Amino acid sequence: MGILGLSKLIADLAPLAIRESEIKNFFGRKVAIDASMCLYQFLIAVRSEGAQLAAVNGDPTSHLMGMFYRTIRLLDNGIKPVYVFDGAPPDMKSGELAKRAERRDEAEKALKAATEAGDEAQIEKFNRRLVRVTKEHSREAKELLKLMGVPYVDAPCEAEAQCAALVKAGKVYATATEDMDALTFGSCKLLRYLTYSEARKMPVKEFSYDKVLQGLELTSKEFIDLCILMGCDYCESIRGVGPKRAIELIKSYRDIETILENIDTNKYAVPENWNYKRARELFIEPDVTDASTIDLKWTDPDEDGLVQFLCGDRQFNEERVRNGAKKLLKSKQAQTQVRLDSFFKTLPSSPNAIAAAKRKAEESKKSANSKKAKIGGGSGAGRGRRPK
Amino acid sequence: MFEARLGQATILKKILDAIKDLLNEGTFDCSDSGIQLQAMDNSHVSLVSLTLRSDGFDKFRCDRNLSMGMNLGSMAKILKCANNEDNVTMKAQDNADTVTIMFESANQEKVSDYEMKLMNLDQEHLGIPETDYSCVVRMPAMEFARICRDLAQFSESVVICCTKEGVKFSASGDVGTANIKLAQTGSVDKEEEAVIIDMQEPVTLTFACRYLNAFTKATPLSTQVQLSMCADVPLVVEYAIKDLGHIRYYLAPKIEDNET
Repeated sequence: MGILGLSKLIADLAPLAIRESEIKNFFGRKVAIDASMCLYQFLIAVRSEGAQLAAVNGDPTSHLMGMFYRTIRLLDNGIKPVYVFDGAPPDMKSGELAKRAERRDEAEKALKAATEAGDEAQIEKFNRRLVRVTKEHSREAKELLKLMGVPYVDAPCEAEAQCAALVKAGKVYATATEDMDALTFGSCKLLRYLTYSEARKMPVKEFSYDKVLQGLELTSKEFIDLCILMGCDYCESIRGVGPKRAIELIKSYRDIETILENIDTNKYAVPENWNYKRARELFIEPDVTDASTIDLKWTDPDEDGLVQFLCGDRQFNEERVRNGAKKLLKSKQAQTQVRLDSFFKTLPSSPNAIAAAKRKAEESKKSANSKKAKIGGGSGAGRGRRPK
Repeated sequence: MFEARLGQATILKKILDAIKDLLNEGTFDCSDSGIQLQAMDNSHVSLVSLTLRSDGFDKFRCDRNLSMGMNLGSMAKILKCANNEDNVTMKAQDNADTVTIMFESANQEKVSDYEMKLMNLDQEHLGIPETDYSCVVRMPAMEFARICRDLAQFSESVVICCTKEGVKFSASGDVGTANIKLAQTGSVDKEEEAVIIDMQEPVTLTFACRYLNAFTKATPLSTQVQLSMCADVPLVVEYAIKDLGHIRYYLAPKIEDNET
């Protein structure tokens, strides 16, 4: 699940790359969302008295409930979501998947033991651990999205990679996910906590890829190597190397090959047949559908279709579903507020500002801070952000 | 060394009140020509542009260009400590990370100074292109504030429609609809009460009430407000600050979403 400790590392070393804001500030933005992760969250979290919501025949409907209301909430805030579904996992992930399967087996055993012992809390805990998203869940979710008029994309492989491709192609503004590997795949913007429940009042965290690189002083290739060192889903990492050590190593040696030549193998156990090269390739050239061929369309919701789909056997409250559909339609018709950035262009920093930034940078260097001051960060980015 | 002195603290108070609702923080760019502040609100829908000319100050000195990032809420709190008639002086060293704000009572008997930490703000400056606006409306600032307040009760957005005859503000929502028409003043006796329309082409634009209402916080600064409009570009709401400069607000319009 993502890259270990990456968000903390970014917060420590590149604080400028993170911006917090309220969900309503993202009005008018299109965002790509990893649907499989959402479904998983819903299956775990949307419950009533500890049991999943279910249709008459016992099939869970928690994921549909969650999907329906979350999508409405996003659209209500003027955000246009695109859901991206996972395809087949890359074979590199088999190690990680095997581990997960193992944990599931363990949970199953523990569940049996708990059931025999009649320990309610334990039963519930392990029950949740056994949750998995099946093809059927995904199929139902897609049907629901179609009725709601919200587009979805079937990724050939990893959803995160497809999301990043959509962002890079300018089809959407950002990837909304809790999983940091979207950044490793090069998603220019990553939104965290956008999909959190409203009750938690978490501000949305916006990560900017170019500022992450700027702040860490890495190229995109070095950043990928850093993520592999920190631990990703695709291969093992060197035992004993945590985030802090990883960034030090990358900064001194610039790539994993050189690190391996120089590292003290007695101290750090490099995994045997370490396949970091394949992992790197997966990050650089993931298996995705060409984003330019994807056409995203948001259409009017099909109110009667939704009622038919959700009510009846799936036992949703008809009135609520109809209200939801009305909200969807309303958000569709509302006028869109334009942003000023689409009229006025950002100026390159004024000489005044650059001079001031330089002065400050020099001072902070003097203060011998371990964080290096960044001067003239405009190299190539050309966005005219004032360097710090 | 930077030093700027104003005869009356009340002007600075009003300026802060006019911007602090839209902006949490802002950078005061000081040069020998004066002080400027430009910043967008969090949602990037509106922009505040404040210009204070050096010749409008009682005393103004700026040896080296200086950018002071400030938390505007804190600044407003400090200004609350001043009496309206006090002299106010802002001071900062060239490489300072603090600014000093000093208040002196009119009879020089009470002097208070406040030091505030400056912030390193990462703000982008926007280039605002020269625009020939097809409609420029001048009207009493109080009137405009009243209209914005009243219409906000009906809808989130207000439609401003400007023709040769006058300017119409309308809003419609669940409650019903509201229309307010202002005709061009025939003979101008008192300039501050006049409605003057300079129109090349009629314009109809839609804006969010929330922002317009935030702009009208500048009403105490000026008797008149000027609205400049042109199809498909941001609205400009300008309040002149007598003898000192002006504050301009830019607001992006709302548009019909044609995308399917």
